[in-house]
Amino acid sequence: MSSLFSSLTAAARALDAQRFGLDVTGQNIANVNTPGYTRRVIDMAAVPPESSRTAGRGVDVVAVRSARDLMIERRLQQEVPAERREAALADVLGVVEVALGKPGESIDAALDRFFDSFANLSQSPSSSVARQEVLLQAESLADTFRDMAERIAIAQRDTDAQVVSAAQDVNALATQIAKINETIARTGESAGGILTLQDEQSVLVRQLSEIVDIDVLQRADGGVDITIGNGRALVIGENGYQVQTSVVAGVNHIFAAGVDITAELSAGKIGGLIYARDVLLPGYQTDLDTLAYEVANNVNALHAAGVGGDGLTGRNLFSFTPAIVGSAGAAGAIGVDPAVAGSPDHVAAAGPGAPVGDNTTARDIAALRHARVVGGTATFHDTWGQLVYRVGRDSQTAKNEQQSRDEIVTQVDALRDQVSGISLDEEAVNLVKFQKAYEANARFFRAIDSTLDTLLGILR
Amino acid sequence: MRVTFSAQNRNSTAGLEGSATRLLEFQRQVSTGKRIEKPSDDPSATLGSIGEHAETAAIDQYARATDSVASRLSVIDTVLSDLINQVERAQVQAASARGSTKTQLQREAAATDLEGIRDTIFSDMNTAFNGTYVFSGSASTVAPYTRVGTGPISAYAGSTSEMVVDIDQQRAVKIAFNGQSVAQGTDPQDIFVEFDNLIAAVRAGDDAGIAAGMSALDRMFDRVSTSQGRVGADLRTIDEQKVRLSELKRASTKRLSALEDTNMAEAITGMAQADAAYKAALGAVSSVTRMSLMDYLR
Repeated sequence: MSSLFSSLTAAARALDAQRFGLDVTGQNIANVNTPGYTRRVIDMAAVPPESSRTAGRGVDVVAVRSARDLMIERRLQQEVPAERREAALADVLGVVEVALGKPGESIDAALDRFFDSFANLSQSPSSSVARQEVLLQAESLADTFRDMAERIAIAQRDTDAQVVSAAQDVNALATQIAKINETIARTGESAGGILTLQDEQSVLVRQLSEIVDIDVLQRADGGVDITIGNGRALVIGENGYQVQTSVVAGVNHIFAAGVDITAELSAGKIGGLIYARDVLLPGYQTDLDTLAYEVANNVNALHAAGVGGDGLTGRNLFSFTPAIVGSAGAAGAIGVDPAVAGSPDHVAAAGPGAPVGDNTTARDIAALRHARVVGGTATFHDTWGQLVYRVGRDSQTAKNEQQSRDEIVTQVDALRDQVSGISLDEEAVNLVKFQKAYEANARFFRAIDSTLDTLLGILR
Repeated sequence: MRVTFSAQNRNSTAGLEGSATRLLEFQRQVSTGKRIEKPSDDPSATLGSIGEHAETAAIDQYARATDSVASRLSVIDTVLSDLINQVERAQVQAASARGSTKTQLQREAAATDLEGIRDTIFSDMNTAFNGTYVFSGSASTVAPYTRVGTGPISAYAGSTSEMVVDIDQQRAVKIAFNGQSVAQGTDPQDIFVEFDNLIAAVRAGDDAGIAAGMSALDRMFDRVSTSQGRVGADLRTIDEQKVRLSELKRASTKRLSALEDTNMAEAITGMAQADAAYKAALGAVSSVTRMSLMDYLR
């Protein structure tokens, strides 16, 4: 049999519960812009009656939980690295494609001017001005090649430096996540603070997934274990394992527990950077080297056979310093041969065996402009165009891929928001809901209070 | 569906960014006049554009070569015309010195005239243009005929191979002639030796010698006329080539423009559309953020 006093207790408990509801609503509104914050939901339950002849003992707050959908969080961890990889690629390639210069203003223009100078020489083979012009244009062409090679090399070095700093970011995040794991384990699941820690944890995991492709395993206590690459431990419980960088073949490779895992990191910012550094940029460099090598070799073959203004033969126009093996490094090493540089008379205009005033060699070199000498199928301009096309296409693909991946991430983010985000309208409704409930319970309290007054008044 | 605050913000930002980016791109196209800013804007068009730039540069070079060859050939044409005149004058002089009725004084006058003509032919054959001899073949820096003082004229010192210059990929024009083929041809001795013999014959009143000299002059006339005919043909080719090159250049520039340049009508329409979209996005954002149930709570 219940008493008026137990009714008073129940009313007080109900007031408490509704006030707590207001608290949670306030907390939700306060954190509407907090990154990683998940909507808090209050769970209430009726306190069951002690016997069948009582109505029950009011309400109790069972739990405050955060509205989190692990499936969606996992989707994000999968999609974010793919999007970030393309973004990193697009960034690197954006720089490279600008470095290549505009059509008609880059290596193609230098080639044009070079062949023009030989065509002019063929019109006046005895002119010292025309010879000087050939030397100037040959030097300018070599300079352009070296500049371009250096620009690609700089892009590669910058990308390498970014890989190193990305690896440092990974280590910093791993340390923080391990620390949160430790706190969660110590605090125990019952404490309310764990929700805030998990919000923080999800922000850090998201940041980590932007840098590198990760696998996340939920621990029973609410912490997370994280592996990268082919199951290499990064965070296990309260232990954060660091990755190391070390220079292998001129670029920084990434090591986990002494194993080179560079090839395993294909996604995330670091994956994009590694792909650009190890595959795309060296590919462009090789193309440029081939072009420089072919230009030098084809011009040299004709020039060495030709006769210079001093009647001597056998001089190359271009040479490579330092010496190269095959075509590797040709673009960075090309220069006007010291035997010809500074001596316009050593430029060969006359054909093999011809008298000094002849123009056959100058004509033949000028005609290389149209010759399909690179691989037997392409002119020098074609080869340059192919390189620019390749960079442009790679950059375009990365940008398009990044856009479509970004759409996916946005969609998944929207899904996450639907579950975890704060709707101010909803919170306003909750505010009214708890406020009204509080008012009603307060009235109930007063009603019981006045009933008690009535009862006590009988005794007077 | 729950509409959350952050989703609203994200959508608003994304919408604004998207339309602002489109607006900016069209603005760039309109203000620069170029459709392509970097290779990734349109890789294939960039490839085409590099090809067209190379094509235009080659056409420009051939146009310059054509101009320079044209002025050189007109100099050669003038020299050949003069050679024809000189040979004709020599024939008249030689003919006038023939016959037994001529006095020694008349023969001497004819001989002196012939010497003058020989010297003019000598200087014609040594014509140089832009520092290179036109009748020295590929040895263009060597004078074809030399002479010390008033001594005898040397034998041909130039090259027998001729020199050509490209005025198109598959078209070359001769710019340095083999002087020997003009001055000697298949004769056993060159025109200067023939002149010396003719002058001696005139002085001596040797009619047979004069006749031999006149037939050598006839052959010289034929050789020079043939050469001039060839030069004339080349000059006509050059005129055609100039027209052809300017047409090629126009076509190439047009293709280049189609590849690189902004289609203004399209870009301006696009800009107007993007502008409208941007304003609409701004309006949508401000009206969405204005509405909240919070406003209705007292």
